[in-house]
Amino acid sequence: MVEYKSSSLDALFGAMSDGTRRAILTRLAQSDARVTELASAFTISLNSTSKHIRVLERAGLVTRSVQGRDHVLSLNAGPMAEAADWLECYRQFWTDRLAALEQFVMNKRNTSKHRSTQ
Amino acid sequence: MTPTQSSDADAAALACERNRHDSIVVKRNFHATVDELFCAWLDAESLAQWMHPGTTSPSTATVDARVGGAFEVVMHYPDGPKRHHGEYRVIERNRKLVFTWISDATHHTKTLVTVDFHASLAGTEIVLTHERMPDHEAGLSHERGWTAAFDLLQILLPA
Repeated sequence: MVEYKSSSLDALFGAMSDGTRRAILTRLAQSDARVTELASAFTISLNSTSKHIRVLERAGLVTRSVQGRDHVLSLNAGPMAEAADWLECYRQFWTDRLAALEQFVMNKRNTSKHRSTQ
Repeated sequence: MTPTQSSDADAAALACERNRHDSIVVKRNFHATVDELFCAWLDAESLAQWMHPGTTSPSTATVDARVGGAFEVVMHYPDGPKRHHGEYRVIERNRKLVFTWISDATHHTKTLVTVDFHASLAGTEIVLTHERMPDHEAGLSHERGWTAAFDLLQILLPA
Protein backbone atom coordinates (compact mmCIF):
# COMPACT_ATOMS: atom_id res chain seq x y z
CA MET A 1 0.00 0.00 0.00
CA VAL A 2 1.23 3.46 -0.84
CA GLU A 3 2.37 5.36 2.19
CA TYR A 4 1.55 9.01 2.49
CA LYS A 5 3.68 11.47 4.35
CA SER A 6 2.04 11.75 7.71
CA SER A 7 3.34 15.28 8.32
CA SER A 8 1.73 16.69 5.18
CA LEU A 9 -1.62 15.02 5.87
CA ASP A 10 -1.48 16.26 9.47
CA ALA A 11 -0.91 19.80 8.25
CA LEU A 12 -3.82 19.37 5.86
CA PHE A 13 -6.19 18.12 8.57
CA GLY A 14 -5.05 20.84 10.95
CA ALA A 15 -5.70 23.51 8.34
CA MET A 16 -9.10 22.09 7.40
CA SER A 17 -10.39 21.77 10.97
CA ASP A 18 -11.16 25.49 11.27
CA GLY A 19 -14.38 26.99 9.88
CA THR A 20 -12.84 30.33 8.88
CA ARG A 21 -10.08 28.62 6.97
CA ARG A 22 -12.55 26.40 5.15
CA ALA A 23 -14.56 29.50 4.24
CA ILE A 24 -11.38 31.12 2.88
CA LEU A 25 -10.75 28.05 0.71
CA THR A 26 -14.31 28.04 -0.58
CA ARG A 27 -13.93 31.73 -1.44
CA LEU A 28 -10.63 31.08 -3.22
CA ALA A 29 -12.25 28.24 -5.16
CA GLN A 30 -14.27 30.92 -6.97
CA SER A 31 -11.34 33.18 -7.77
CA ASP A 32 -8.02 34.47 -6.49
CA ALA A 33 -8.25 37.19 -3.88
CA ARG A 34 -6.15 39.76 -2.07
CA VAL A 35 -5.54 39.39 1.63
CA THR A 36 -7.43 42.62 2.29
CA GLU A 37 -10.44 41.34 0.33
CA LEU A 38 -10.58 38.22 2.42
CA ALA A 39 -10.32 40.17 5.66
CA SER A 40 -13.29 42.36 4.74
CA ALA A 41 -15.31 39.41 3.42
CA PHE A 42 -15.05 37.54 6.72
CA THR A 43 -15.25 40.54 9.06
CA ILE A 44 -12.11 39.49 10.89
CA SER A 45 -9.01 41.54 11.48
CA LEU A 46 -6.28 41.68 8.90
CA ASN A 47 -3.93 40.22 11.47
CA SER A 48 -6.21 37.28 12.16
CA THR A 49 -6.77 36.71 8.45
CA SER A 50 -3.01 36.66 7.87
CA LYS A 51 -2.57 34.00 10.57
CA HIS A 52 -5.22 31.78 8.97
CA ILE A 53 -3.62 32.25 5.57
CA ARG A 54 -0.21 31.25 6.90
CA VAL A 55 -1.68 28.00 8.22
CA LEU A 56 -3.23 27.33 4.81
CA GLU A 57 0.07 28.14 3.09
CA ARG A 58 1.96 25.73 5.33
CA ALA A 59 -0.53 23.00 4.42
CA GLY A 60 0.12 23.79 0.76
CA LEU A 61 -3.53 24.69 0.16
CA VAL A 62 -2.93 28.33 -0.68
CA THR A 63 -0.18 29.96 -2.70
CA ARG A 64 0.70 33.63 -2.62
CA SER A 65 1.97 35.82 -5.42
CA VAL A 66 3.09 39.39 -4.93
CA GLN A 67 1.78 41.75 -7.58
CA GLY A 68 3.09 45.20 -6.87
CA ARG A 69 1.86 46.05 -3.37
CA ASP A 70 -0.84 43.39 -3.38
CA HIS A 71 -0.48 39.88 -2.10
CA VAL A 72 -2.79 37.73 -4.21
CA LEU A 73 -3.84 34.32 -2.91
CA SER A 74 -4.75 31.30 -5.00
CA LEU A 75 -6.17 27.95 -4.07
CA ASN A 76 -4.09 24.85 -4.56
CA ALA A 77 -6.29 21.77 -4.20
CA GLY A 78 -3.42 19.33 -4.74
CA PRO A 79 -2.98 18.26 -1.11
CA MET A 80 -6.68 17.39 -0.90
CA ALA A 81 -6.29 15.12 -3.89
CA GLU A 82 -3.53 13.39 -1.95
CA ALA A 83 -6.02 12.72 0.83
CA ALA A 84 -8.45 11.35 -1.76
CA ASP A 85 -5.73 9.05 -3.08
CA TRP A 86 -5.23 7.77 0.43
CA LEU A 87 -8.90 6.73 0.52
CA GLU A 88 -8.72 5.14 -2.93
CA CYS A 89 -5.80 3.12 -1.72
CA TYR A 90 -7.97 1.66 1.03
CA ARG A 91 -10.78 0.91 -1.37
CA GLN A 92 -8.41 -1.19 -3.43
CA PHE A 93 -7.03 -2.80 -0.29
CA TRP A 94 -10.44 -4.02 0.92
CA THR A 95 -11.57 -5.01 -2.58
CA ASP A 96 -8.51 -7.26 -2.85
CA ARG A 97 -8.94 -8.65 0.66
CA LEU A 98 -12.59 -9.59 0.05
CA ALA A 99 -11.58 -11.35 -3.17
CA ALA A 100 -8.98 -13.27 -1.16
CA LEU A 101 -11.61 -14.10 1.45
CA GLU A 102 -13.83 -15.62 -1.22
CA GLN A 103 -10.93 -17.67 -2.53
CA PHE A 104 -10.15 -18.84 0.99
CA VAL A 105 -13.72 -19.94 1.73
CA MET A 106 -13.99 -21.78 -1.60
CA ASN A 107 -10.69 -23.59 -1.06
CA LYS A 108 -11.70 -24.59 2.42
CA ARG A 109 -15.00 -25.93 1.17
CA ASN A 110 -13.36 -27.95 -1.60
CA THR A 111 -10.88 -29.40 0.86
CA SER A 112 -13.58 -30.54 3.25
CA LYS A 113 -15.67 -32.00 0.37
CA HIS A 114 -12.64 -33.87 -0.81
CA ARG A 115 -12.09 -35.25 2.68
CA SER A 116 -15.71 -36.32 3.14
CA THR A 117 -15.71 -38.32 -0.13
CA GLN A 118 -12.66 -40.34 0.85
CA MET B 1 -2.39 -10.66 -21.11
CA THR B 2 -6.04 -10.12 -20.34
CA PRO B 3 -6.80 -6.57 -19.31
CA THR B 4 -9.34 -7.54 -16.64
CA GLN B 5 -10.50 -10.56 -14.72
CA SER B 6 -14.12 -9.51 -14.84
CA SER B 7 -15.44 -12.54 -16.74
CA ASP B 8 -16.62 -14.17 -13.54
CA ALA B 9 -20.29 -13.50 -12.90
CA ASP B 10 -19.39 -12.68 -9.34
CA ALA B 11 -17.46 -9.68 -10.57
CA ALA B 12 -20.78 -8.13 -11.49
CA ALA B 13 -21.85 -8.46 -7.91
CA LEU B 14 -18.76 -6.68 -6.73
CA ALA B 15 -19.58 -3.09 -6.13
CA CYS B 16 -17.69 -0.25 -4.59
CA GLU B 17 -19.27 3.01 -3.74
CA ARG B 18 -18.85 5.99 -1.53
CA ASN B 19 -21.41 6.89 1.02
CA ARG B 20 -20.00 9.85 2.89
CA HIS B 21 -17.07 11.68 1.38
CA ASP B 22 -14.76 10.60 4.15
CA SER B 23 -15.41 6.88 4.12
CA ILE B 24 -15.35 4.01 1.69
CA VAL B 25 -17.84 1.20 1.22
CA VAL B 26 -16.91 -2.06 -0.49
CA LYS B 27 -19.59 -4.67 -1.18
CA ARG B 28 -19.21 -8.22 -2.39
CA ASN B 29 -21.49 -11.20 -2.84
CA PHE B 30 -20.22 -14.63 -1.89
CA HIS B 31 -21.41 -18.13 -2.73
CA ALA B 32 -20.87 -19.10 0.88
CA THR B 33 -22.85 -19.18 4.08
CA VAL B 34 -22.82 -16.32 6.55
CA ASP B 35 -21.33 -18.71 9.09
CA GLU B 36 -18.39 -19.68 6.87
CA LEU B 37 -17.58 -16.05 6.20
CA PHE B 38 -18.04 -14.77 9.73
CA CYS B 39 -15.73 -17.45 11.13
CA ALA B 40 -13.04 -16.53 8.61
CA TRP B 41 -12.75 -13.09 10.23
CA LEU B 42 -12.46 -14.19 13.83
CA ASP B 43 -10.35 -17.33 13.59
CA ALA B 44 -6.68 -16.29 13.67
CA GLU B 45 -5.51 -19.15 11.48
CA SER B 46 -8.13 -18.39 8.82
CA LEU B 47 -7.52 -14.66 9.00
CA ALA B 48 -3.82 -15.17 8.41
CA GLN B 49 -4.59 -17.19 5.30
CA TRP B 50 -6.68 -14.61 3.49
CA MET B 51 -5.82 -11.21 4.88
CA HIS B 52 -2.51 -10.70 3.14
CA PRO B 53 -1.35 -8.80 0.09
CA GLY B 54 -2.04 -11.53 -2.45
CA THR B 55 1.24 -12.70 -3.86
CA THR B 56 3.23 -12.94 -0.66
CA SER B 57 3.32 -15.40 2.19
CA PRO B 58 0.47 -15.72 4.71
CA SER B 59 0.13 -13.10 7.39
CA THR B 60 0.82 -13.61 11.05
CA ALA B 61 -2.40 -13.06 13.00
CA THR B 62 -3.55 -13.05 16.59
CA VAL B 63 -7.20 -12.63 17.54
CA ASP B 64 -8.88 -12.13 20.89
CA ALA B 65 -12.43 -12.49 19.64
CA ARG B 66 -14.41 -10.61 22.25
CA VAL B 67 -15.61 -7.03 22.57
CA GLY B 68 -12.62 -5.05 23.81
CA GLY B 69 -10.27 -7.81 22.67
CA ALA B 70 -7.34 -6.98 20.42
CA PHE B 71 -6.27 -8.36 17.07
CA GLU B 72 -3.08 -8.03 15.13
CA VAL B 73 -2.34 -8.90 11.51
CA VAL B 74 1.24 -8.59 10.33
CA MET B 75 1.24 -8.64 6.53
CA HIS B 76 4.47 -9.61 4.87
CA TYR B 77 4.95 -7.21 1.99
CA PRO B 78 7.93 -7.58 -0.35
CA ASP B 79 9.49 -4.50 1.25
CA GLY B 80 8.93 -5.69 4.79
CA PRO B 81 6.28 -6.54 7.37
CA LYS B 82 3.38 -4.16 7.97
CA ARG B 83 1.52 -4.35 11.23
CA HIS B 84 -2.22 -3.72 11.34
CA HIS B 85 -3.97 -3.88 14.65
CA GLY B 86 -7.09 -2.83 16.49
CA GLU B 87 -9.77 -3.75 18.96
CA TYR B 88 -13.17 -5.32 18.51
CA ARG B 89 -16.02 -2.95 19.30
CA VAL B 90 -19.04 -4.99 18.21
CA ILE B 91 -19.26 -8.74 17.65
CA GLU B 92 -22.74 -9.95 16.63
CA ARG B 93 -22.32 -13.46 15.38
CA ASN B 94 -23.19 -13.83 11.68
CA ARG B 95 -24.46 -10.25 11.55
CA LYS B 96 -21.92 -7.58 12.29
CA LEU B 97 -18.30 -6.93 13.19
CA VAL B 98 -16.95 -3.53 14.16
CA PHE B 99 -13.29 -2.99 14.94
CA THR B 100 -10.75 -0.23 15.09
CA TRP B 101 -7.99 -0.36 12.51
CA ILE B 102 -4.56 1.17 13.02
CA SER B 103 -1.55 0.93 10.73
CA ASP B 104 1.24 2.94 9.16
CA ALA B 105 -1.21 3.85 6.43
CA THR B 106 -3.63 5.39 8.95
CA HIS B 107 -0.70 7.31 10.45
CA HIS B 108 -1.27 5.31 13.61
CA THR B 109 -4.58 7.04 14.23
CA LYS B 110 -7.67 4.95 14.87
CA THR B 111 -9.97 4.34 11.95
CA LEU B 112 -13.13 2.27 12.15
CA VAL B 113 -14.13 -0.73 10.07
CA THR B 114 -17.69 -2.11 10.06
CA VAL B 115 -18.38 -5.43 8.37
CA ASP B 116 -22.06 -6.26 7.83
CA PHE B 117 -23.10 -9.75 6.80
CA HIS B 118 -26.44 -10.23 5.02
CA ALA B 119 -27.94 -13.40 3.66
CA SER B 120 -28.51 -12.87 -0.08
CA LEU B 121 -29.81 -14.92 -3.01
CA ALA B 122 -26.29 -15.96 -3.96
CA GLY B 123 -25.33 -16.73 -0.40
CA THR B 124 -23.99 -13.83 1.59
CA GLU B 125 -23.37 -10.19 0.93
CA ILE B 126 -20.63 -8.44 2.86
CA VAL B 127 -20.74 -4.67 3.15
CA LEU B 128 -17.53 -3.26 4.51
CA THR B 129 -17.36 0.37 5.59
CA HIS B 130 -14.05 1.95 6.50
CA GLU B 131 -14.25 5.40 8.01
CA ARG B 132 -12.20 7.82 9.97
CA MET B 133 -12.60 6.98 13.57
CA PRO B 134 -15.00 9.21 15.45
CA ASP B 135 -12.64 9.00 18.39
CA HIS B 136 -14.36 11.59 20.47
CA GLU B 137 -11.32 13.07 22.16
CA ALA B 138 -8.23 13.09 19.99
CA GLY B 139 -9.79 12.35 16.64
CA LEU B 140 -12.48 14.98 16.54
CA SER B 141 -10.59 17.79 14.84
CA HIS B 142 -8.94 15.22 12.60
CA GLU B 143 -12.31 13.85 11.62
CA ARG B 144 -13.72 17.30 11.03
CA GLY B 145 -10.71 18.11 8.88
CA TRP B 146 -11.16 14.93 6.93
CA THR B 147 -14.87 15.50 6.30
CA ALA B 148 -14.23 19.11 5.32
CA ALA B 149 -11.43 18.10 2.99
CA PHE B 150 -13.70 15.76 1.08
CA ASP B 151 -16.63 18.14 1.06
CA LEU B 152 -14.38 20.76 -0.48
CA LEU B 153 -12.93 18.26 -2.86
CA GLN B 154 -16.41 17.59 -4.19
CA ILE B 155 -16.76 21.30 -4.89
CA LEU B 156 -13.32 21.83 -6.32
CA LEU B 157 -12.86 18.72 -8.40
CA PRO B 158 -16.26 17.84 -9.83
CA ALA B 159 -16.27 14.35 -11.26
